[in-house]
Amino acid sequence: MTEAPTAKGRANALVRSVISGAGPALVLIAMAVGLWIMSPAFRSPTSLMLIGLEAAALGLVAAGQTFVILTGGIDLSVEAMVSFSGVIAAILIAGTNVSGGQIAGGFPSWIAIPIALGLGLLIGAGQGVLVTAFRMNPLIVTLGVRSILLGFALVLSRGSGIYIKKDDLLGFITGRFEVFGVNIPIPLVITIVIYIICWIVLKKTKFGRYVYAIGGNETAARLSGVRTHLVKLSIYGISGFLAAMAGILVMGRLESGAYQNGTNLTLMSVAAVVIGGTALTGGIGGIWGTLIGVFMIRLVDAGLVYMSFPSQAKEIMIGAIIVLAVLIDTARRGQIPWLTLRLRGGDSGD
Amino acid sequence: MLATAPLGAEPQPMTAEPILEMRSIDKRFPGVHALDDVSMDVLPGEVHALVGENGAGKSTLMKILAGVYMPDGGEIVYKGQPYAPHTPGDARDAGIVTIYQELNLVPEMSVAENMYMGMELHRGPFLDGRTMHRRSRELLATRLHLDIDPGTSVGKLGVGQQQMVEVAKALLHEADIIIMDEPTASLSLREIADLFTIVRELKSHGVSTIFISHHLDETFELSDRTTVLRDGQLVSTQPTAELTTPSLIQLMVGRDLADHDPKKPVEIGDEILRVEGLTRHGVFEDVSFSARAGEIVGLAGLVGAGRTEVVRGIFGADPLDRGNVYIRDEEVSIKSPRDAIDHGIALLTEDRKSQGLVLLFDVRENITLPVLDRLTRTQLTDTAREREIAAGFIDRLAIKASSQEQQAMNLSGGTQQKVVLSKWLAAEARVIIFDEPTRGIDVGAKAEIYEIMNELAAQGDTIVMVSSELPEVMAMSDRILVMAGGRIRGELSRTEATQERIMHYATASDGNEYAAGDPVHD
Repeated sequence: MTEAPTAKGRANALVRSVISGAGPALVLIAMAVGLWIMSPAFRSPTSLMLIGLEAAALGLVAAGQTFVILTGGIDLSVEAMVSFSGVIAAILIAGTNVSGGQIAGGFPSWIAIPIALGLGLLIGAGQGVLVTAFRMNPLIVTLGVRSILLGFALVLSRGSGIYIKKDDLLGFITGRFEVFGVNIPIPLVITIVIYIICWIVLKKTKFGRYVYAIGGNETAARLSGVRTHLVKLSIYGISGFLAAMAGILVMGRLESGAYQNGTNLTLMSVAAVVIGGTALTGGIGGIWGTLIGVFMIRLVDAGLVYMSFPSQAKEIMIGAIIVLAVLIDTARRGQIPWLTLRLRGGDSGD
Repeated sequence: MLATAPLGAEPQPMTAEPILEMRSIDKRFPGVHALDDVSMDVLPGEVHALVGENGAGKSTLMKILAGVYMPDGGEIVYKGQPYAPHTPGDARDAGIVTIYQELNLVPEMSVAENMYMGMELHRGPFLDGRTMHRRSRELLATRLHLDIDPGTSVGKLGVGQQQMVEVAKALLHEADIIIMDEPTASLSLREIADLFTIVRELKSHGVSTIFISHHLDETFELSDRTTVLRDGQLVSTQPTAELTTPSLIQLMVGRDLADHDPKKPVEIGDEILRVEGLTRHGVFEDVSFSARAGEIVGLAGLVGAGRTEVVRGIFGADPLDRGNVYIRDEEVSIKSPRDAIDHGIALLTEDRKSQGLVLLFDVRENITLPVLDRLTRTQLTDTAREREIAAGFIDRLAIKASSQEQQAMNLSGGTQQKVVLSKWLAAEARVIIFDEPTRGIDVGAKAEIYEIMNELAAQGDTIVMVSSELPEVMAMSDRILVMAGGRIRGELSRTEATQERIMHYATASDGNEYAAGDPVHD
């Protein structure tokens, strides 16, 4: 693979680096710089803070999705979980599911939030039980649960948002603080902390090792004594929990629990994970790549707005991103012969 | 030397003009010079054996012929024309067909549908099923002497017959050269004999066969010439009749492997493992046996006798319907591999790549996978301890890896087997079950695996070995249990065991298709 530094060679090397490891980070920086130069509106502190806020919710969902995809599964229920947990928390806080003005007649948020998070964990783990003990296909299980959760969110909220009044706790976790004149959204801080925890879990714990082992070869992992069912069940629990957490942040920011709160987050989270270098087949990847993927998607999203594209174009963008992400994933694994981007060692014959 | 025979000439039996010449083939993969200036030719109607240790470059060379890889250098002349296939389809259209160990058939489709896949016959816009059916039957009957109904779905056939369907498919493509990559690996003895008959039949019709096998006796039985590769280089091509087993092994490994009895006698201690009445309905029935410290118990039998299933049952990999497992006379409950490991039982599966290793993991991560829980009390991993353990086994078993961080997928078969073994030694298993311990492993590494088994037995471990290779079973076992049709049919001591006696039990089951006609002499 030693190429003379011809123009073509350099171009190949560039394509290769974009698709492999360092690529996504470079692209992210290039996108940010590009937007910074081209769009004055993008430079405003408010817009940066909004991007950070949006990135927080997607980031939490994508973190859970990373775990699931690392084991070779997929969780399509996450966007419904975001809506569902938001509606549950909103109803608990409002004390009613009749929408009216902003109400806070129910429980304080320190009770409502743990309940919503707990439900997320349980429902997620329940999906894990169906996938493991009942050997059902995760695609179908989570697609079905997605529909169930969206349905509940719709029924419980009577089709419209439940508006709430934030109490101190909810106000804090969806608020911001100022460092050297820059507003930093607390949700983003929460998300970064979660990412650090996820990184430790994946790279430094036995559980993390088992996640990669299952993604790499589930049979070998089981025959090596790994309790694969327990690990996979936990994975779906984690995904449900983090999606519920995202649901709380979205609900708190909008001061409304509505069934649309999670819209598009499933596709976006899968796209973020794959853009970040995690293989859809499992076993390869990591959490920081996902964070880069999350910001990349948010920048593209914001870019469309600041470049004055119609908001309807968003759907096109999301669709294009997911298809592109899967194309990159396939190319990365050397499965498109004519692209011949031999990015990983390659097999050595015999 | 240029073969300039005009295309379309009558098939000539055994001329001196090669039908295929590969000249100075060169192929590199990242970090590996897989083929270095390798030349080989094939005569019409020749059976040409290609032998070498794992990693010698046999498969790479054949994949270049089959259009899977492009060579980096060298040229190929086929029927007097330059030949450079870009895809497996190109190779097949040119008449070079490869039959891989993993067969390329659709189990749910019929024999005829499989044979005609990609070249279906039409009558107008519709498939001409009747003609395809009739021609399939004719071809199977006349060329392969097989009476298979072309309407049978392939999944219902045995592995041997499935392979015949692949051969039939190759003949349908009017193959001039058939490449067989380890065709006998999963065949019973009877099926191997049938396959050899077919290869000889093909030969008489002028079809050449390139035959890759780790079984040297097959090479001797079948081939006209033998090409030996070692470390990506050509060692020699010569008439097989001029070779002997020791001389061939020496060519393959580049050193003398003393051909002595690999088994070392050890003192046999108390009973460690006992199983009683193990049953999984429809798979195996009422299997009982015991094994003692220092003992190697061989489980012999034909493919499909239920041996693998029994040991998987003991290990908790598959559920048992009935039966008890005792360790040192105490009944243990094994519901999962985890339970078995906790009771000191290990299973080295027959398929290392799909069941034994996480190929994406490195050597260290594979070795420590079953023992992470024992290394630390916290939930964190202890990389320093893991390194220490891995280093110990790399040293003890002479594991040929560039470092602990080398990915398992880049290791040779023998080295992979050693990594799997290290895993179980790390887990301090005292009952070690080997399922086909040397399948797909070359001669040199085989001797090393036997040596390790000897060491384990010498330190008082108990070994149960499932093996389809009779010489291996007889050489390594203290005691041999023979299974057929899901039951243990006989037990032979080391001194009693002969190939004939083992085959007698292995074929003597009720309603077994191999029973009739097999010679049973004591």
